[in-house]
Amino acid sequence: MIEFEHVSLSLGAFSLKEISLRVKEGDYYFILGPSGAGKTILLEAIAGLHRPESGRVMVRGEDVGATPPEKRRVSLVYQDYSLFPHMTVYQNVAFGLKMQKMPKPEIRKEVDAILERFGISHLRDRHPLTMSGGEQQRVALARSLVVKPEILLLDEPLSALDPLTRERFICDLRKLHEEQHLTIVQVSHSREEALALAGHIAVIIDGHLEQEGTAEDVFHRPVNPPVARFVGVENILHGRVVTNDNDLLGVDIGGLTVSCVGEIAVGEEADLYFRGSEITLAPPETAAGSARNTFSGTVVDIFPMIPLVRVRIACNGVAIYAVITSRSATDMGLVVGSEVSVIFKASSVHTTACGSDL
Amino acid sequence: MTRYYRPDRCLISFALIGSLIVMMTVLALLNMAVGQLSDIGHLIQVAMDSKVIGSILLTMGAGFNVVIILLLIGTPLAYVLARVNFPGKEFVEGLVDLPVMLPHTVAGILVYILFMDRGLIGAPLSQIGLEFEDAYAGIVVAMLFVSSPYFINSVREGFEKVPVHLENVARTLGATRFQTFVRVVLPLSARHIMNGSILAWGRAIGEFAAVIMIAYYPMVISTKIYYEFTTRGIHMSSTVAFVMLIVCFAVFAFLRLITRYVGRYDDRV
Repeated sequence: MIEFEHVSLSLGAFSLKEISLRVKEGDYYFILGPSGAGKTILLEAIAGLHRPESGRVMVRGEDVGATPPEKRRVSLVYQDYSLFPHMTVYQNVAFGLKMQKMPKPEIRKEVDAILERFGISHLRDRHPLTMSGGEQQRVALARSLVVKPEILLLDEPLSALDPLTRERFICDLRKLHEEQHLTIVQVSHSREEALALAGHIAVIIDGHLEQEGTAEDVFHRPVNPPVARFVGVENILHGRVVTNDNDLLGVDIGGLTVSCVGEIAVGEEADLYFRGSEITLAPPETAAGSARNTFSGTVVDIFPMIPLVRVRIACNGVAIYAVITSRSATDMGLVVGSEVSVIFKASSVHTTACGSDL
Repeated sequence: MTRYYRPDRCLISFALIGSLIVMMTVLALLNMAVGQLSDIGHLIQVAMDSKVIGSILLTMGAGFNVVIILLLIGTPLAYVLARVNFPGKEFVEGLVDLPVMLPHTVAGILVYILFMDRGLIGAPLSQIGLEFEDAYAGIVVAMLFVSSPYFINSVREGFEKVPVHLENVARTLGATRFQTFVRVVLPLSARHIMNGSILAWGRAIGEFAAVIMIAYYPMVISTKIYYEFTTRGIHMSSTVAFVMLIVCFAVFAFLRLITRYVGRYDDRV
């Protein structure tokens, strides 16, 4: 449906460098990355608001480089909703249909229907700036959908909402995507939104496309440390492979040898990633069981993050982060200085050969 | 809503220092008003003089004409300056601002040698019957030259305040750039356009030096006052000045009042 072929584009402080990606029809595609990574200009490039300096943007296999935004059937909803402040809700939603020169009675029918569907009929004659964020959000979405776009672009649509409204909205978006069979491209820096909604994800950091894949791929098998850091992997370690027994590796990370699974030759450098939630903390000298990695260490820091706690443990000079429930931390009587065993499975550790990304 | 601050020592001293300027204006006005109102008969006679009325109407009318021209050609320029970065933009901006800094006589000479009967533009246009020397059109071009920066800069500021996102959304909803300009950008800049028009109009009707160089006749009000001053003395000229003052004050107060109700939503954007 949408293809980027080596698209480069720069705009003020933001830039995209040689981006190639492919969004399939009917996909819910997330563009994920830290703020300032150039995500919004990527959306605007799909909408035709910026022309790439090099490379091609294709929609349905056609180069749309010369197609102006008003001819693309692509709707865009910004983070700030961008409702026209001088128009009422009705006029805002009717704007697109008016531009299509639809006769007035039909416009009225269409607009009333969509206001009804979004549960905002009572706001019909209000001006946007008198409404709450959630209400503005609905109007913005109704306005973008009433023109029946083929592609819906959402720029951080949830970031300005309070958590409860956001959850309700995530459900609405999911329903919308399923019912309308729309192709949706959403920009976000929120991992939770991506997990809840995304079919495919592209991670963009500093204008570069670092990884493209399913949510499962990106969150559990990051291709390099920057992506891992962005998707919130707590433990990212670097070392050299010292043993390889049928792809069961021993990697020396300077003080510890970690067992993990991967196809990397002895002597090569490797990056290791594992989530803090994969780690079990146990009293010192606990037997390992089926887990292949058991290290003893000392608790250095305990950081509460309701309802969990993140525990930093020094194991022979290597800092390892474990995420456990606050309940189990209390039960174990963990305090700074406690001696613990750090236990995790070899299969919990994702490995990449160093420099093999891109 | 207007908020009133509880004054502290700093604000009070600032207000006292600042009041010197206001006091000067007040004193000048009172001084003139007392003199004029003590001879109401003369004041009414001058105010009813058809030449004085004609001169005031001519000045206001020519200024209004300038605003119409600026709305038509200054508005597009302001939009380009607000939205497009191009090489040499600073140079264009410098040219736009130039009339603000020029002594009025310099502006007058520039306009005169361009639009005089033998001038680069004046010559061909006088061939087809459009005269600038000592003519209404001459007054208008002189006023246009000196007042354009006030209009362009004010309107440009208004355009810059319209979030680009609004324009982008309008485009994706099917509006061409021009439709977006007309339906989104213009209404949201209404207040700045109104302000720019008032500023430009005020600047235009105040112009003297640039106007007399190309068009001593028909007499705009400044020329008329200067003429009375040099031929009939201070008494006559100050009465004409007083009449103009009252008209101006009334008109601009009225315009400010209207502006208050134009484009109010953009206060909160």
